[in-house]
Amino acid sequence: MVKNITIFTTKTCAYCPMVKKYLASKGLSYDEVNLDEEPQRQQEALAISGALTVPVTVVTRQDDSQEVVVGYNLAKLAPAIA
Amino acid sequence: MEKRTKENSHTVIMIGAGPAALSAAVYTTREDIETLLLEKGVPGGLAAVTDWVDNYPGFPDGLAGLELAGNLQKQAERFGAVIDFGEVTALHDEGEWKHLETTLGDLYARVVLVATGSDYKKLGIPGEAEYYARGVHYCATCDGAFYRDKRLVVVGGGNSAVQEAMFLTRFASHIDLMVRSRMRASDVLQKELQKFVDKGKITVHLATTTDEIIGDKDGKVVQVKGTDTKTGNEVKIDTDGVFVFVGLKPNSEFAGGQLETDELGLIKTDENLMSSMNGVFVAGDIRSHATMQIASAVGEGATAALKSANTSEGHVDVMEEV
Ligand SMILES: Cc1cc2nc3c(=O)[nH]c(=O)nc-3n(C[C@H](O)[C@H](O)[C@H](O)COP(=O)(O)OP(=O)(O)OC[C@H]3O[C@@H](n4cnc5c(N)ncnc54)[C@H](O)[C@@H]3O)c2cc1C
Repeated sequence: MVKNITIFTTKTCAYCPMVKKYLASKGLSYDEVNLDEEPQRQQEALAISGALTVPVTVVTRQDDSQEVVVGYNLAKLAPAIA
Repeated sequence: MEKRTKENSHTVIMIGAGPAALSAAVYTTREDIETLLLEKGVPGGLAAVTDWVDNYPGFPDGLAGLELAGNLQKQAERFGAVIDFGEVTALHDEGEWKHLETTLGDLYARVVLVATGSDYKKLGIPGEAEYYARGVHYCATCDGAFYRDKRLVVVGGGNSAVQEAMFLTRFASHIDLMVRSRMRASDVLQKELQKFVDKGKITVHLATTTDEIIGDKDGKVVQVKGTDTKTGNEVKIDTDGVFVFVGLKPNSEFAGGQLETDELGLIKTDENLMSSMNGVFVAGDIRSHATMQIASAVGEGATAALKSANTSEGHVDVMEEV
């Protein structure tokens, strides 16, 4: 079971709305960190994902285990929210 | 191989959901022709990852590529187009039906529109794969925001490289533009670029190859090595990241030689935009002699849809015969 989801995005990223739409289609809510508006959180996104790219989706489960999905990658995102 | 069934058969399948296919889908679905689009990446294709589109007719002030892509998708879906996310890996001619192998399974269509566009080419130099997404990038609108107040190298001398270098000045403190031979960007873009050069935001290195991307012990990109081809001297540029825009590679591999292509790998068509395979039409950047613009891709999509109507027309009922 999913406890919460955070997505790191930017305003110009084409794949970010796709992740948001996908989560919404599954009835899941999420917190969004827009790195254009909060550039100070870029290091956090990098530390979590190991990549200088967005979207980065962090799925935290009830047992506090985390799954990090880089990009719009349904093969990883779908099991992460299952 | 899965056999053809009612469920996996479609009147029209479009490969790709970029501007060409989305435009074509507006025309087919508005005529009640059942249409499925298969997209391996993002709807809107390259238009969706382009920061700003200034030359699409009807928008006097220009508009964001992402907005244009979203609008094209909305309009196609309004008339009933269905977009599924999957990749087409092979195409076979079975006469009246075309058989598509895809990551979603085998699919069949009366009419196929190939609108697969192209993907960014790689440089193929040491360091490029090692630092991918950690200092080496191919999409400025996706990854540019990570380079606020950093130095960047942009590789390439065509329209995309110049456009993206100018976009990246929003974030980067300085950009070195490495151009292998001479500038190939349009005069308009070169004039715009000059403004950034005059302000000291971009330095252009003509006749300079990019040979290696170097990282430090922490795995961060720190330098690009190249060669000044006029003097043969090594060129070293300190940088925090590299964005590569050295041209595009046509997405025609899936056809495995089944469709006739030109020497660049672009698919040849007749005056009706039909390929060498009967019932398979082609539109947009992937078409031989295409002009590689959103407006022309959209126009070709409309043309291909209208020309293909003869092939799909009257066959809707045949679906019921499966
Ligand atoms: C940086 C940059 C800036 C640009 N700026 C402008 C501009 O300002 N104005 C302008 O008019 N044009 C511009 N262009 C060109 C414009 O983006 C293209 O001409 C246009 O997007 C072509 O549309 P298309 O539908 O033919 O192909 P694409 O936009 O490339 O779309 C093809 C789609 O097919 C999908 N696909 C490919 N293979 C498969 C497969 N096997 N299975 C399933 N799906 C597949 C791809 O994922 C993609 O989404 C720019 C291009 C770039 C790279």
